[in-house]
Amino acid sequence: MSAVAAKPAAGGAMNPTAMAVGVVMVLILLGIGYVVSPMVLTYAPTVSPTFALMALIGVVIGGVLIGFGTHFVPVGGAPAAMGQAPGIATGVAMLAAGAGLAGLFGGAWAAEQGLVVAVVTGGIGGGLMMAITCMMVNFVYVFGMGIPSASGKVANDPITGDSQAEYKSQGTEGHGLPFVSFVGGVIGGLLGGAGGTLIYIELLSLYEETLPGMMQITSAQVMPIAVSAAGMFAVGLFLVNAVLTAYNITGTIEGPHDPKFKRWPRAIVASAVASALCGLVAVLIVVPL
Amino acid sequence: MEPIVFGIGITALTGALATVAGSAEDTESNIGSQGDPNSQVQLAPQMGFLHRIFNKAVAGEPPAYGLWCCLGAGLAWAFMAMQINPVLAIVLGCVLATFVQGVYATTAYVGRTASLAKFGQPVYVDILKSMTSVAMAHAFIAIFCTVTLCHLINAALGHPFPLPLLGLIWGIALGAAGSATGNPYYGKERQYQNQKFGAGVPISASGNIVRFAEAGERNSIDNGFFTHKIGGSASGICFGLIVFLELWRTVLFEQVSAGWGAIIVGILMILVFTVIDRYIEVWARKNYGPYSEPKEASS
Repeated sequence: MSAVAAKPAAGGAMNPTAMAVGVVMVLILLGIGYVVSPMVLTYAPTVSPTFALMALIGVVIGGVLIGFGTHFVPVGGAPAAMGQAPGIATGVAMLAAGAGLAGLFGGAWAAEQGLVVAVVTGGIGGGLMMAITCMMVNFVYVFGMGIPSASGKVANDPITGDSQAEYKSQGTEGHGLPFVSFVGGVIGGLLGGAGGTLIYIELLSLYEETLPGMMQITSAQVMPIAVSAAGMFAVGLFLVNAVLTAYNITGTIEGPHDPKFKRWPRAIVASAVASALCGLVAVLIVVPL
Repeated sequence: MEPIVFGIGITALTGALATVAGSAEDTESNIGSQGDPNSQVQLAPQMGFLHRIFNKAVAGEPPAYGLWCCLGAGLAWAFMAMQINPVLAIVLGCVLATFVQGVYATTAYVGRTASLAKFGQPVYVDILKSMTSVAMAHAFIAIFCTVTLCHLINAALGHPFPLPLLGLIWGIALGAAGSATGNPYYGKERQYQNQKFGAGVPISASGNIVRFAEAGERNSIDNGFFTHKIGGSASGICFGLIVFLELWRTVLFEQVSAGWGAIIVGILMILVFTVIDRYIEVWARKNYGPYSEPKEASS
């Protein structure tokens, strides 16, 4: 087949076989988690036999939240830096990580107040970071460069109904952040911050229970190690899922109104597989094999 | 009452440090063309436009600053564990991290520019000598301010994360905020100063960056001088607001309603920024107007 006759690379097409393989891989990894979960009783006899499995499931849910949330973040990459395309002028994974980690910072601080409060606090932290950043991006475009916001993907803003085409300057695909992109950015920050915090809390509770028995030290002595290990795994899982999504949307996206947004089911499966594998490694360090 | 006043004081100090860090970070990245506009610096010689602009973009700003701030914080942490005074420990840690940044900048410039040899782009040794030290100086300010605010968050406000992890997190957030806010101003307003003000750069003009200054050829110190006035300040305000408001809502409202107080205040702040953003967007549409007639554009 010649290059002309070949089908165009359909970035948005779903491959059912690959999706099914992905789901099977997640189930296999969770199955391994189910098998090894009772082994942590050696170090923490008081916890439930499925304690480690629950932590692994929490990590997978957190990873999926990060992967899904990254689709909302409006990122224009290099063209946005020249006002040639809408979005924030940086990398998807970079911005999502910045917002999510700011959320993780807040969520970790609230860890003592329970899972729900910590996860919501983490989400709000990420959302707040994105709200400030998106507002300042529009501030620079409008007051620093004299350029109004315009989307290149839709004729009217889906939220405000503002027409977009006539606000695009000549020879560009749009610029700045239309309101729908701003809202997308905040939602992305919320989901990313909540997902990162969920991963951190789940791993922290696992390490707090098991590390004292494993290392033969007191709970007070184990806290810095548990916090550091859970924090590093949360940061690592964040980057894994954000980069996976960056591939899925081929580097740039305007927000939830962008046609590329419809590719999210593929990223959900990929994030679940990657998170399950990384989460299993995080669990296995406290399992006596 | 006293702990709250102490907490607010620390919060204000960290906000100020973050503002300086954000501003220095953006200026440093613009001097080194490390943000997304590096694509144009790299593209220009391929289009026949040779230049004397510094280009050290072999990593995005967030991971680069994540590395340098984590390194500075980790070394400072190690020095503090050796019973060295925290002020001295932070300065020493940041100096060493800045040397790593200098090595990175040197190898990145030489590597990126050498790859353009086939297009006739020379590696200017004088550029390497004069730009690297300026970029390192700005990097030191950014790293020092970030590591100091991380130390304050850890030691004074009691955040559970160890100093190196806080350095990594806030370094990545610093790079994300600085690149998001500052890149368009450098990419559009400075590199394409020859294009019309108040419009994006037409895609057909890509690569034709401004290469000449008032006297002689433009260099990256000129770019840092130009962009720090708006791009740098805006980046500083952005990162300062992020750090200050995140800490402020936690310090003041964390104990209200078992943690829900800080959440509600956070939601209110998001709504306030949403309203401000919408105001800016509508203001621009009203005052600048459309580029073309709606009927013509929609065809």
